[in-house]
Amino acid sequence: MQVYSIPKSIKENSKFTFCKGCDHGVAIKIIAEIIDELNLRENTIAISSSGCSVLLYNFLDVDCLEAPHGRACAVATGVKRAHRAKKDEKFVFTYQGDGDFASIGLSESMHSALRGENITAICINNTNYGMTGGQMGPTSTMGQLTTTSPLGRNKEYHGFPIKTAEQIALCEGTQFSARVALYDVKNILNAKKIIKKAFECQLNNKGFSFVEILSSCPTNWKLSPQDSHKKIAEELTKIYPLDIFKDTTND
Amino acid sequence: MSYIKINQDKCKSCYLCIDVCPHKLIKKSNNTGSTGELTVEFSDNENKCIGCAQCAIVCPEIAIEEVTRE
Ligand SMILES: Cc1ncc(C[n+]2csc(CCOP(=O)(O)OP(=O)(O)O)c2C)c(N)n1
Ligand code: SF4
Ligand SMILES: [Mg+2]
Repeated sequence: MQVYSIPKSIKENSKFTFCKGCDHGVAIKIIAEIIDELNLRENTIAISSSGCSVLLYNFLDVDCLEAPHGRACAVATGVKRAHRAKKDEKFVFTYQGDGDFASIGLSESMHSALRGENITAICINNTNYGMTGGQMGPTSTMGQLTTTSPLGRNKEYHGFPIKTAEQIALCEGTQFSARVALYDVKNILNAKKIIKKAFECQLNNKGFSFVEILSSCPTNWKLSPQDSHKKIAEELTKIYPLDIFKDTTND
Repeated sequence: MSYIKINQDKCKSCYLCIDVCPHKLIKKSNNTGSTGELTVEFSDNENKCIGCAQCAIVCPEIAIEEVTRE
């Protein structure tokens, strides 16, 4: 019995172009599995963003739009509403980096949550601006060395990092907000369950759903894939706890 | 007999699968991959593979394309 095969929603013959050991590949793989399981492929419009997450459109075999930096939730709002107006309901989700979702796009992200837009946002939190060379992001942790905080992030000069999933959970229009990680099999399977729940929130017309994924960036962290996962398990989950911060989907 | 199918063209030599296999059935091959390092291969002379698919679950490249459990 075949117990594993390439998800059907991954384009044929695709070869991911992320760096060695990067969790973006695992995130896209489980999203494709969920799209298969919920039979959403023909009915999905994915909105990718600026950053390494933009590459989603090369690999996922669904219709995709690329939003300007930070504007994915705004674009998703338009796409969702326009199709609804035509009575052609689409499943719409965004795939964004932490810099994209929680810094340049914080306004668009948070107002989509406050409006309770019936879309799903996925945010890959790798604690830096990965694609542009590892600058400090809104989620970079205290003391973290980045190319723009060479002496480490400090509160006097840079201020504090944002706990995105907790903040989004505070918005009244948010119906589901959670944080997951991908550093081992157990967490990958759990992440899949949680993302599926977020997708179902939208399918049941509940309102805004959000999942923050703690994700490795071995290249800019200057760590091996193994040590990157260790850093997430031992360091980052203490600062960014894995939890469901809001879930009204059973109400 | 359970087994996995590895696509060596996709392997970027992160070796996450080597670490996760409960029976240590995945090891470095003699082939150099796209990152200039050795890719991985599956060898299971004693039919120890249980088809748990943990290697495929952690592979960030979907380079482990099939897992068959018997
Ligand atoms: C308006 C605008 N400003 C700046 C950029 C340059 N830029 C491209 S990707 C990126 C950072 C992306 O970081 P993040 O969202 O965390 O994604 P990651 O690459 O880490 O996955 C920036 C600043 C841009 N593309 N557009
Ligand atoms: S720069 Fe970081 S986030 Fe981007 S592909 Fe490389 S490891 Fe992944
Ligand atoms: Mg980032």
